[in-house]
Amino acid sequence: MSDNGEAVEGAAVRSREQALAETFVLLADTLVDDYDVVDLLDQLVVASIELLGVAAAGLLLKDHRGNLAVIASSSEEMRLLEIFQLQNDEGPCLDCVRLATSVSSGDLAEDAARWPTFVPAALEAGFRSVVAVPLRLRDMTIGGLNLFSDLPQELSPDGQRLAQAMADVATIGILQQRASYRSSMLAEHLQHALNSRIAIEQAKGVLAERNSIGMEAAFNALRRLARNNNRKLAEVAVAVVRNEIDPLVVVAGESPNSE
Amino acid sequence: MRSPASGDQVAVDDQDRWDRLLAESASGRDFHPEEICRLCIEMLGVSGAGISMVTPAGTRSVVFSSDDTSARIEDLQFTIGEGPCVDAVTFGRSVLVGDLDNPDDVLVERWPQFMEGARLADVRAVFSFPLRIGAISIGALDLYSNQPLDVSENWVSSALMAADAVALALLLDTHLEGRSVDDFDVQSTFQVQVHQATGMVQVQLDMSAEDALLTLRARAFSSGRPLTEISSDVVSRRLRFAKEDE
Repeated sequence: MSDNGEAVEGAAVRSREQALAETFVLLADTLVDDYDVVDLLDQLVVASIELLGVAAAGLLLKDHRGNLAVIASSSEEMRLLEIFQLQNDEGPCLDCVRLATSVSSGDLAEDAARWPTFVPAALEAGFRSVVAVPLRLRDMTIGGLNLFSDLPQELSPDGQRLAQAMADVATIGILQQRASYRSSMLAEHLQHALNSRIAIEQAKGVLAERNSIGMEAAFNALRRLARNNNRKLAEVAVAVVRNEIDPLVVVAGESPNSE
Repeated sequence: MRSPASGDQVAVDDQDRWDRLLAESASGRDFHPEEICRLCIEMLGVSGAGISMVTPAGTRSVVFSSDDTSARIEDLQFTIGEGPCVDAVTFGRSVLVGDLDNPDDVLVERWPQFMEGARLADVRAVFSFPLRIGAISIGALDLYSNQPLDVSENWVSSALMAADAVALALLLDTHLEGRSVDDFDVQSTFQVQVHQATGMVQVQLDMSAEDALLTLRARAFSSGRPLTEISSDVVSRRLRFAKEDE
């Protein structure tokens, strides 16, 4: 029994190392290439779930109006809960950005007094704990990475450090784009990222309606199309909204000719 | 406003005032995008401003220019088919050239004829902001200066806010009569359910995303309900739009 147990544990450790290595390679590959920041952030939230053993992850960025917007999320449910916080102006992810520090709750059920509007919504969505870490840039905070778990749990100190490292990679991704693109203005890059995100949401609407599917399935179809064709998410999204790609073909998973 | 000649970066000193004026000019019943251009000239320290529109079919037109120089520069770009405004629309990204004589943007190499024309018109700095909401692209807001401008992050943010306001105003101006203050609620237009609903209505009515957004706004207006609420109903499939002939 004990041999067996060790073997299983060994496999688990290796797979975590493997996951870390794969994430590192994926992010590094993206950063040296010509990438769109929305694609990078999408990869980053998905990778965070596996690496940190959480149920969902979302990423908020400040726009040029100083408002927070959801720029990436691992699921539609996560996106809605992030938006709920923004609309009600309350929640751990907002606190994290405002206070420019990590904010967490190991058991949301016991923190209802802290966030009276947010906690019932989070529990309703099936989440029990949260860790929010800031995207820091010198003395500024430009957004936050939010990790939700369906169990009451605290992240280990290692997990905390890894979460902050993921948030820092997101910041680097935004800055790196700034260094390699023509404009060095952060505001311009955030604006572009948000417009990319808007185009993705518009495209999800087109795909969802045309194929009678949910927003989550619509996004997965969009993501698959972008990856299979080695194109950027936002580019494919714009093509879908402008009817340059047949929305039925997208969901069938084939490679349509655009235009 | 600091003097650009001092070498300091230009910035909007009073951000609150900018926010307030922009909100006011964008919420009036008789709002015109020209007012935003005037605000840009006053508060962003530029010499001139212009707005051009591009239809989904690719037809371009200059809808406003604040003075003769901007008019010449706007017209020039359409005549020769190159320049910052053309590229802002093409790439969907802002083009910022604070000094045409000493450009730090390689994009200027794409516009040899424009550069010549700008020199003749005594224009030293150009800034072009795409008027877009996601995949909806309707034109560009162009700002010009007859002296070099070293702009700050805050300046760019302010100009981007102006571009958002112009984009919405243009969309409504060309399509909707009887606008109200609510129609100009910039904030609600940038909510996620509005974008998703736009895509859905676009398919339901077999129209462009631009027209779908306007249809949603018109419905919100006529039913007296917030745009976000109407959009949520569409996304949750409680509300469908049907073609009139069906």
